[in-house]
Amino acid sequence: MEKNLIKPPVEVRYADELALLEKYDTGKRPENWKLSPKAVRTFILGGKVKTADGTVEISRKFYGNDALVERCIITLAGNRGLMLVGEPGTAKTMLSELLSASCCGTSTNTVQGTAGTTEDMIKYSWNYALLLSKGPCREALVPSPLLVGMEKGIFARFEEITRTPAEIQDSLISVMSDQILNIPELADEGLVFARPGFNIIGTANTRDKGVNEMSGALKRRFNFETVEPVKDVRLEKEIIIREARNLAESGHIDMPIDTDTAELLAVTYHELREGMTEKGTRLDKPSAVMSTAEAVSVYYQTISHAWYYGDGRVDLNVMTENLLGAVCKENKDDLEKLKSYFRTAVKEKGNKELWKKYAETARKLK
Amino acid sequence: MEKICGNSQKTKIVPYDLSEKFLLFPVRHHSPVCSYHLIKTITEYKPDIILIEGPENANFLIPVIADEKSEMPTAVYYYYKDTKKLVSEEAEDYKCYYPFLYSSPEYNAMKQARQLGIPAEFIDLPYCDILINTAGKKGLRKDVEKHSYADDSHLISRKFEEKICEATNTRNWDEFWEKYFEINGLFMTTEKFVMQMHTYCIIQRDGTTEEEMKADATIARESHMAKRISEAMEKYNKVLAVTGGFHSMGIYRLIKSGKIKSPRLRKIPEKLNGCYPMAYSYESADSLHGYASGMRFPFFYDSVMEELMKSDTTEGIYNRLTLDLLVKTAKESNKKDIAVSIADVTSAKTLMDGLSALRGIRESGMHELADGVTSTFIKGEKTVSSALPLDILNKFATGKKVGKIGDKSHVPPLITDFEEQAEKHRLNIKDVMPNNVEVPLFTAQKGMELSRFMHRMAFLDTDFAYMTKGPDLHGNKGRSRVREEWRYSRNPNVDASLIDHTTDGFTIEEACTTVAVKRLVGERRCESASQIAVDCFLMGITLKKSELDIIDDILTKDGDFFSVGKGMKYFETLHSLQQLYGFEDSSSLGYIKQCFGKLIIFLPSMANVATDRADELIIILKSMYGLTGNVLSDERDLFMHTLLAMAETDEKEPSVFGAVEGLLYAMDSARREEAEKAMRGYLMGNTDIKKKGAEFLKGLFSTARDIILSDNSFLKMTDSLISEMEYNDFMEILPSMRLAFSYFTPSEIQDTAREVAELHGTAKDDILKKKSIDENLFVFGENLDREICGIMGL
Repeated sequence: MEKNLIKPPVEVRYADELALLEKYDTGKRPENWKLSPKAVRTFILGGKVKTADGTVEISRKFYGNDALVERCIITLAGNRGLMLVGEPGTAKTMLSELLSASCCGTSTNTVQGTAGTTEDMIKYSWNYALLLSKGPCREALVPSPLLVGMEKGIFARFEEITRTPAEIQDSLISVMSDQILNIPELADEGLVFARPGFNIIGTANTRDKGVNEMSGALKRRFNFETVEPVKDVRLEKEIIIREARNLAESGHIDMPIDTDTAELLAVTYHELREGMTEKGTRLDKPSAVMSTAEAVSVYYQTISHAWYYGDGRVDLNVMTENLLGAVCKENKDDLEKLKSYFRTAVKEKGNKELWKKYAETARKLK
Repeated sequence: MEKICGNSQKTKIVPYDLSEKFLLFPVRHHSPVCSYHLIKTITEYKPDIILIEGPENANFLIPVIADEKSEMPTAVYYYYKDTKKLVSEEAEDYKCYYPFLYSSPEYNAMKQARQLGIPAEFIDLPYCDILINTAGKKGLRKDVEKHSYADDSHLISRKFEEKICEATNTRNWDEFWEKYFEINGLFMTTEKFVMQMHTYCIIQRDGTTEEEMKADATIARESHMAKRISEAMEKYNKVLAVTGGFHSMGIYRLIKSGKIKSPRLRKIPEKLNGCYPMAYSYESADSLHGYASGMRFPFFYDSVMEELMKSDTTEGIYNRLTLDLLVKTAKESNKKDIAVSIADVTSAKTLMDGLSALRGIRESGMHELADGVTSTFIKGEKTVSSALPLDILNKFATGKKVGKIGDKSHVPPLITDFEEQAEKHRLNIKDVMPNNVEVPLFTAQKGMELSRFMHRMAFLDTDFAYMTKGPDLHGNKGRSRVREEWRYSRNPNVDASLIDHTTDGFTIEEACTTVAVKRLVGERRCESASQIAVDCFLMGITLKKSELDIIDDILTKDGDFFSVGKGMKYFETLHSLQQLYGFEDSSSLGYIKQCFGKLIIFLPSMANVATDRADELIIILKSMYGLTGNVLSDERDLFMHTLLAMAETDEKEPSVFGAVEGLLYAMDSARREEAEKAMRGYLMGNTDIKKKGAEFLKGLFSTARDIILSDNSFLKMTDSLISEMEYNDFMEILPSMRLAFSYFTPSEIQDTAREVAELHGTAKDDILKKKSIDENLFVFGENLDREICGIMGL
């Protein structure tokens, strides 16, 4: 697959690292896994690999809770599915992609859960032209990612599972319990047994809880991991810089990333999310999602603006405008909360030149 | 671990040589792996004496702690009263705990010495000398609620924590310690383990400055310990010293150099600088409880120690114990309606095993167990409420047991008395879990005795019990209740408080008496003295003549009218309840008379009391009225004359005046006219005077509400007062009027309302069934009426 894509899959983006890890992986691998659990950990959390040419550094791709990643890896090696839950923008999808790519070599075997997802999309459907001409046969069958996962012994990712109606979600139960999928139309050939290595990674936003609750029976077949927002501002800054750089590269924006303004944005998001400044002043939390992913998006918009319309330098006025657009989406009170943040928290740091300039951009908040 | 302890050169500085004349064994407090290797070392080294890090003024308690009958957790409680101001200018009292668990290496050292018949001694500076050599806000003088001698702060250097965790892929220092020392350390040779300990501790020491070690008395303590080891080396052939790993290097260097300058010890009397053995709890031993006194999950690690002592092999112990705890957590979760199936437990176990393999740990520890529970028992998002299985796990791993001191000869008599009484009343003091007990006060003598015991423990501020329901004689509420409900739990604070009261008596009763007398001696106010008398009443403590004289003296000297008035109220309570509570005490009547006599003198001058104190005065007046109708009936005439004098005073606070008139009416119905006259006077005055009329009514109704019920003249006057008021003025008097009518019962209010309705030519049904008019609309209508009348000249 070519790399010149808006967002190449993980296995393409990090193909070199994966190949290197596979080559020098001496650990025990669960059946059908590309890497051993230790190597998967190194791929996701970073580390060093001893090669014939010396030690090679593997970059860290997921920040936050290392123990959670370890639990995810071990869960996937067992007989239970993995369900990643958490606020939007906490890198659940990214983590599931990283896990799939490193364990199975592919991260694209995915079902996208929506309100319109049907059981066919989860299990299998038919190529009706072939079905009419040849009758129910394997050739006419259109396998779902779940079926592909079972047959190849790889993970099937189920994104936004709670957006799918509960009765549709429940079609996973028998597959996860018995590791068999029955296709009655194919008669004797219709029993598909899961190959070793098959598992399911689901993701669900906690804000969608009210939309479709998962049944207890399905919950029992998953181990749950709650992915929380990054607690450390320093890490959040690193993520913003790294992700913005990646986006800039793929968008052919050839300008250096301004780390100071990235830090500014990281602090803003962190303080608004926590409802408290670094000096302990209480803040009103906006109802909007204040995720790191949102911060990356705001920052990328800002550098795009600087690249196409500006002088190639980050304009704080534009960043504040983008911030306004990201925060004030649904609740009009959020505008007041953002203004209040600029009045108190931003001015609190006014002794630093950049923060002083940032405070002056508050006039854009309308 | 190699990343942390890469420089093996350093380990050669403190050797582990069993042929040496002395051997330093480094430990972490409450660490089972340290205890395990220490016991192996003692077996192999065969020392003639074991020296242990600990304030040496507790040496006499070593046999008590190591006694077969003692059950861990226990602690040595040290205290020092700095009356000579050697520590600071404040002459403060200091105290600290030195806890011992089954997993504590120090406890195992004492125990082994006892079994081998060799001496064991503490070698650190006495507690007072540690404090004297410690700078303010450092070491044992830090501003914390509790101090623990077994503080691990040197071992857990926050400076290095981040780097250590990063290098070893661990979340925090506890996980690092468990992985590399507690679990993997069990599978090392003792020599390798000791070397690893020394290396780690030396790295920590290298990151600590000389100034820091001087400030927290580390230098002084190490010098003293080195001196004691050197002295022992002169007497014995083989000396084993068990000290915190951080100190090993310092002590070793001092001994090898031969230049030991030990600080001069102060001669402090035992009553100022002493120690006692006490029962301790797992809950308090948990390092999360306020101070770094050792490891988290003390019960779990004690179980590890127990298994180590029973097994021939170290293999499988952690796996077994974590599985036990996992199953217990699952069972308890199910009891709390959190569905956890066998499949969940199996999945958790698989996860734990997988994690320990991934993390390079020989067996699953507490961190893998917590991870297993997190992933498999918590269904859905992890929140405070859904994380209950983790809370259950933490509680089990921490433990709830309270230890026991076997040899009572050194146990403070107060603790012995407490335990005996608790046993007599069948109170559960074997663990720290809170218990509830219902105490029927008047059905059997046992109930009253238990109530008195609970009140005594509460009076001594022991943190043992507090009353959740029952008569509140201090607040004069719920006097009709016939039972008390108490919530109690034994925790180390109870023992510590009782030790603090050691000098107050040999029994709880004696201590309470002493404390009550001490408090009385310091009192100057009748109100406070009477409250202490209430405490004594509840505790069933009879004060001696000389002690009663103190109260007498306070009453005589107190010139505060309100203090005396409130005091009288308390004495009245005691007098009226003495028969019911089976506590005959004639002194309260004498105090009532004394208070009454004082109050009656001051009463006329109180007629114009400040408005904000008028309510208090009215309560006192009512109390005096009640007494003159009962125990002080001889004083009724005097009281009446005094009230008349108050009524005739020129300047009077209106509500007090109302209350006085009400009382006079209650004593003589002929006074009704005077009350009516006074009310009319308020009605005929200007708006400000009228407003005072509302206050007058409030006072009047508080003492004689039947005045309005017997005849409707007062009602008419009240109606007239309200009708003639402007809206804003009415709003001003509304609170007083509301309060005035709060003295009536609901049926009386209903009757009054009916009469008011009749006065205005309306009926009850009209008020209840007709649609009410909006208040603003009514005001608007009234104003409109007024305007129209004005224009029309009406």
